[in-house]
Amino acid sequence: MTIPEILIKDGFLTEADQDKISNFSERSGLSFIKILLNFGYLSRKNYERSLSNAGMVFKQIREEDYDLDVLAKTELKFADAHLALPLRIENNKVVTLMANPSDELFIDYIRFTYDLEPEIILASDLDITWLSHVLLGQKYVKSAVFELLNRDPESSALTTFTTPQLIFTFGMFALVVMGLMLSFVNTTIIINVLLSSFFLVSIIFKLFLALVGSRFELHQAVTREEVRQVKDDDLPIYTIHLPVYKEDKLIKKLIWNLQSLDYPREKLDIKLLIEEDDDKTLNAVRNLDFPAVFEVIVVPFHMPKTKPKACNYGLHFSRGEFLTIYDAEDVPDTDQLKKCVSLFGKLPNNYVCIQCALNYFNRSENFLTRMFTLEYSYWFDYMLPGLDTFDIPIPLGGTSNHFKFEFLIELGGWDPFNVTEDADLGVRAYAKGYKVAIINSTTYEEANNEMFNWVRQRSRWIKGYMQTHLVHMRNPVKLWKKIGWKGFLGFNFFIGATPVTFLVYPLLLGIFLCYLVFDLTSIRSFFPDWVLFMSIINLMVGNILMIYVNMMAVFKRRYYELILFAIANPVYWLLHSWAAYKGLYQLVVKPFYWEKTNHGLSKVNNQAAPVE
Amino acid sequence: MNWKFKINITRRQTLLFITILIAIYYLVCGIYINNLGYFNQETLFYIEKVRIIFEGTGYKLKVIGLTAPALPFFATFPFTVISSLLAPVIASALGTAVLFYLMASTLVKKTDDDYYLFLLIIMFLFHPGILYTACSGKAIYMALIFFYMFFLNIFKFYTSNTTFHISIASICLVLLLFCDYKFIWLTLFFIPLIFSIALQSLNLAEKESLFRMTQSFNSPSLRRKLINKTFALYVILFILPIASIICYKLLNLTNANDADYFLSSPYATWNVIAERFSYETAALNPDFKSPEVSVLLSARMVMFCPLILFAIALFWRSTYQILTLLTPFAFVEFLHIKYDKAFLVQEYYLIFLVLAVLCFIIKAQPVKHRLLFKVVLTFIILLQFYTGYYFLSNSLIDDERNFVTILKDRTEDTQQDENKDMANYINGLPDGSKVLADDAIAYPIVAFTNDVGNMLLPYQDNFMGAVETPGQYVGYILIANAKNTMAGYSILNARYGPVMFQTGNNYSTLQKAYETDHWTLYKLY
Repeated sequence: MTIPEILIKDGFLTEADQDKISNFSERSGLSFIKILLNFGYLSRKNYERSLSNAGMVFKQIREEDYDLDVLAKTELKFADAHLALPLRIENNKVVTLMANPSDELFIDYIRFTYDLEPEIILASDLDITWLSHVLLGQKYVKSAVFELLNRDPESSALTTFTTPQLIFTFGMFALVVMGLMLSFVNTTIIINVLLSSFFLVSIIFKLFLALVGSRFELHQAVTREEVRQVKDDDLPIYTIHLPVYKEDKLIKKLIWNLQSLDYPREKLDIKLLIEEDDDKTLNAVRNLDFPAVFEVIVVPFHMPKTKPKACNYGLHFSRGEFLTIYDAEDVPDTDQLKKCVSLFGKLPNNYVCIQCALNYFNRSENFLTRMFTLEYSYWFDYMLPGLDTFDIPIPLGGTSNHFKFEFLIELGGWDPFNVTEDADLGVRAYAKGYKVAIINSTTYEEANNEMFNWVRQRSRWIKGYMQTHLVHMRNPVKLWKKIGWKGFLGFNFFIGATPVTFLVYPLLLGIFLCYLVFDLTSIRSFFPDWVLFMSIINLMVGNILMIYVNMMAVFKRRYYELILFAIANPVYWLLHSWAAYKGLYQLVVKPFYWEKTNHGLSKVNNQAAPVE
Repeated sequence: MNWKFKINITRRQTLLFITILIAIYYLVCGIYINNLGYFNQETLFYIEKVRIIFEGTGYKLKVIGLTAPALPFFATFPFTVISSLLAPVIASALGTAVLFYLMASTLVKKTDDDYYLFLLIIMFLFHPGILYTACSGKAIYMALIFFYMFFLNIFKFYTSNTTFHISIASICLVLLLFCDYKFIWLTLFFIPLIFSIALQSLNLAEKESLFRMTQSFNSPSLRRKLINKTFALYVILFILPIASIICYKLLNLTNANDADYFLSSPYATWNVIAERFSYETAALNPDFKSPEVSVLLSARMVMFCPLILFAIALFWRSTYQILTLLTPFAFVEFLHIKYDKAFLVQEYYLIFLVLAVLCFIIKAQPVKHRLLFKVVLTFIILLQFYTGYYFLSNSLIDDERNFVTILKDRTEDTQQDENKDMANYINGLPDGSKVLADDAIAYPIVAFTNDVGNMLLPYQDNFMGAVETPGQYVGYILIANAKNTMAGYSILNARYGPVMFQTGNNYSTLQKAYETDHWTLYKLY
């Protein structure tokens, strides 16, 4: 009796389902077991129950012996596709792990390749996946780590500071020290004026971009009518990467969210990218009571242990024409994929990425989530459309950026040494003459609701911005030529200036508060009145404008209850400053360290996002 | 497509050309009137302050940063290169032309009918109030520009419902406040309007406002939504202006030890004395009966600008727009109560004209009986030339009356002759002669002098020292005579110690060097 027959007999599968799976298998080249367990037909628990009832025994296989010569004859992609793996030759038979012992194609492959009969060990598909990737995935993981470095070493963040950058940094430092020694007051005045002017200019620029962005707030890149006109049969295969690490609590939510997507199930290629040492998440998938709608890919251990490395690894197993990344807790608008397909169809060929807006479903949970919502609303609803309008490189958001697969490969994927690989990729795409578009679709995420967790996440982002700035400013003239003056200024204002602003902010605020509270005569002696006058204007105007921009953003989102929280922004920025100093420290001592953000802390239940 | 594009460019270029012609017309008129001797308090104040900045010596930060209204003051800066005395006039002439361009460019986008553009041109060429705005050198032009932009964006918000328009409106209001602080009170009268907008935006089946309100108040969820939205709208529109004013007050506090320095100090703003002086001069007259009476004030506005009634009629069925149009009425009524010791200046009449024109710009296209509409519109605009003239010539403010008299009679204005005489005498003093003067009231004289560097004025650190012991600092002292009605606002008046006690241990002997009706220049021995 074959496995499908057992499942039909036990009532876990209908004949109609079997026909559908067979048809899909013929069309896609995927094996029966792959489709059965990864496309929502049957849960792993029921699969094991059914086979156990039939007298079959699932073995724990992780500690099984293996022979490298035997393994070398099997390609990982083939093993992964059939959820089977030949391990060693024993008693003149090939000991073969199989999740579907009736997979004749793979059995024939064993016979043909090794000229021996297989000795089949039944094992969980997840264990086979884990073992096959760990044993055979080295080639791919090395490619995931070093592909960009080999192809385009100038764009890799493996080297944090180049020699000219170090000379420049220490040269500037020496210049300031010399200035302070020669004329302390004049040097402090110059530094103060430069910093506070820079602070104001960067904020005015942000206000300007926000106003430009807000002008197009009614513009719909893709209308509902256009989405309705999309025919399911014409849709391409869409890959979704879900890089996770110890996100066991979110797996159930994840399935719920993915099932809400309005896209033909068979045309989705969803990859859950799990690290080799992440048994928690693997077991959570194993213990699901309902069918999974994603395929598990185990990323073998290799430093650096970062999200971009996992995504690069996943690229080797992806089938889609388009690709996007979601975090485990993300709730995308249900029609997001269709909208992106529609927009890609309308845009010129050089548009290789579409960035969706991000926002939060747990915005009213506490102060931090409210502030985070304000910040994201302003960033994704105003700033990015503003940048888009002026054709300035868009620092991509961490998730919900949809790529044309072939162009992503051409760009060399993500930089695994960069902890904000998304922002880096956005700039790299612009440098190669490609464009990024913004779309009227939102993905709702879980806002960080715990302060230390928030600082960890933010320090990684800020460190990543510093890394990205350092990488692309290795040769400023070259960058200027590549992305034009607008792009160059935009890049420096958004990627370069952001960490600087946060580093400088507490210093300026501290001086201002001391001046205000203590009316320090010593400060007055350092700074003449005109400097104080100008600095106070800069600080106040800068703060007010940023508060206002945040207000505008939540007003647009109709989150009226959050509008007053914008006033708390100066306090919120202090948290940014804390994170910025942490990020700066880490940039020096451990630049590739990925500060893990814990998800699933929110007590707010997310709901599938309605279509806007 | 290309053809249409070309037509658009042509229209825009034509508009630009007309604007340039209008600007030249204003410049010619303004310079001509200026040559006839017309100056007003505000213009002279700007001239004096600008000259202090560019020619004075000493601590000028307060003058630069805290002179109010700030924006019109800054706007005169670029034109001082041409002539410091003409700078405010050039600024107002060009600024009014910009106002025309803004209005006309909105108009041509809304309608293809050039007749409306023709009417607008006629209005800008001949309306006495607009000529006063353009040729007087006063800051009215800038207030009108931002007032227009503010209301234009408010009206746009009603149709687009985008944050962009409401934010731009808010920014325009900020700029308006830095042209005329009194517009801050406009924020009070937007409350009912904003409530109405919030109420209308609630997702209710009921259409009638009253019933919508009843429903909203009786449902906790709707009530919360209504309050949140009303508050949010109010905040998004007004927090920026209010915060800007608070910051500006803070700057005044840190730099002048008085948060209201820009409002109440005669060294920071011209109208603190000018308004009071103008009011007191008129009110002291036993026969004086103020025409500015509450409620009737709105009637005066309607008389000045009957077009506003027509505009209200155009928007009769639109609640927001009607409430918006009524807001300035409430605003001027409030101004009359709040600033009861000052007359309403022409600027507050002209805002109704601007608002009425704006309404026509927005509504010109959809009107049905075009011909009748145009005839009535033309008639009202022509009528407004007369009302404009009438209100200016019967104004309670000297500057306004003088302007219209000079415009009509083209005779020389002698009002500033005395100040010019005194300034000429100071100009003729031997090189290196320093003159102590208090520019709280003496700014017209300082404005006419050749070298502000020879004057010792209150912005300078040693001014108080010079007042105490003038002999050590200056050779001359400019004193306001007892006959000078503004003498009470200056420390250098007939009651000034050295003048009262001509000899003494600390004072040098004073001798009159030059005297006019209102001023005496003393020489120290």
